[in-house]
Amino acid sequence: MLEKTEGIVIRTVSYGESHVILTVFTKERGKLPLMARGAKKTNSPFAAVSQLFSYGLFQFHYRKSMSTLSQGEVLEAFRHVHEDIEAAAYAAYVCELLDGVTTEREASPSLFMLLLTILRFIEKGEDAEVLLRMFELKMTYVAGIKPELDRCASCGRTEGDFSFSVQEAGFLCEQCSRLDEHRFSLTAKQVQLLRQLYYMDPQRLGRVHLKPETKHWLRQLLEAYYDTYSGLYLKSKRFLEQWQQWKP
Amino acid sequence: MQYPAPISKLIDGFMKLPGIGPKTATRLAFYVLNMKEDDVLDFAKALVNAKRDLTHCSSCFYITDQDPCIICNDNHRDRSVICVVEDSKDVMAMEKMQEYSGLYHVLHGAISPMDGVGPEDIRIPELIQRLQDDTVQEVILASNPSIEGEATAMYLSRMIKPTGIKVTRLAHGLPVGGDLEYADEVTLSRAVEGRREL
Repeated sequence: MLEKTEGIVIRTVSYGESHVILTVFTKERGKLPLMARGAKKTNSPFAAVSQLFSYGLFQFHYRKSMSTLSQGEVLEAFRHVHEDIEAAAYAAYVCELLDGVTTEREASPSLFMLLLTILRFIEKGEDAEVLLRMFELKMTYVAGIKPELDRCASCGRTEGDFSFSVQEAGFLCEQCSRLDEHRFSLTAKQVQLLRQLYYMDPQRLGRVHLKPETKHWLRQLLEAYYDTYSGLYLKSKRFLEQWQQWKP
Repeated sequence: MQYPAPISKLIDGFMKLPGIGPKTATRLAFYVLNMKEDDVLDFAKALVNAKRDLTHCSSCFYITDQDPCIICNDNHRDRSVICVVEDSKDVMAMEKMQEYSGLYHVLHGAISPMDGVGPEDIRIPELIQRLQDDTVQEVILASNPSIEGEATAMYLSRMIKPTGIKVTRLAHGLPVGGDLEYADEVTLSRAVEGRREL
């Protein structure tokens, strides 16, 4: 059956001499593997649309196992992301994380819009660190590991000061804080920030600006949380960690 | 029911090659059985010799059976230009053109944030070391026009430019014999950017 949908290429794997297997996050069918035959040839009509992070219109023969790309048109190529290695690394991390927490053929137009919005912000040169932290927080829900951010994860109290416990998967009130001695102490502003980042409309992403020290604790907190619960090992994350040493 | 051990082993051997599944491996194995013994011996020797005799040139890292390689050893080549490519096969593609007479540097990969490949995982430190020599005046970045290739080219240009060496990138644009009508907008916009005066 011939189908047409918007999608973003989140992973590419070479196959045979000149073919590429694309993993496309589509608006209507969710994550979908697509075979782009001959996409590595210089005169292939699929060459541009098969590039990683390409946002395009994909026409394909839908099959239960592997669908085959029949036509493709680039809607946005994200040139800055392609030409700036740091931006590419941030975009790669977003795509790899999305690939890691989603399953094939589960449509989620809101997730598709979130991915597109984040790529657009990275393309515009917005603070990618903030975008990544927000994406990580929102992805906890998709991965089924959402931390408790509305009340104390232990007793359910909603008022008072909170700390964040990786072990208890969420906020802990003052009375329950003894449950985890490795908890992250939080100020009222930090509690608010975590909630804000989790619930914020993706369209407003670019308006958030954070101090370097705020970004640092946020990164530490989410790294500890993902390491404990996600079971993911992301190559792009390792690249980003080492990039500071390699930077020219 | 299984095949006799020698043929099963041969099938397993063929299956280690990229793109070869059990069916193709079986077909190839049975084809080998019907070949003349001399041809099979030549084939086996070619495989072993390719593995044993080939090494990487200590200067440019192109595959070679002698060190330095035939290209680095050629005194007629222009030593002031180095063309940086991702793979040894890219050297062959450039040589087929018969219009380039400089030297090469094979990176054996490209920087890839997606695969966690950084500059130190490929032959970039060796290239930077090679450029300490004052004879090099131009570096042509001929990595693929993919996201990994662009990332590598961008990184290298940032590393090399401060040394005063001219850094150029292969042009992007329309393929020879291609039809403008069917060109995608990314290729077209790059072709317009890289247009030249006639």
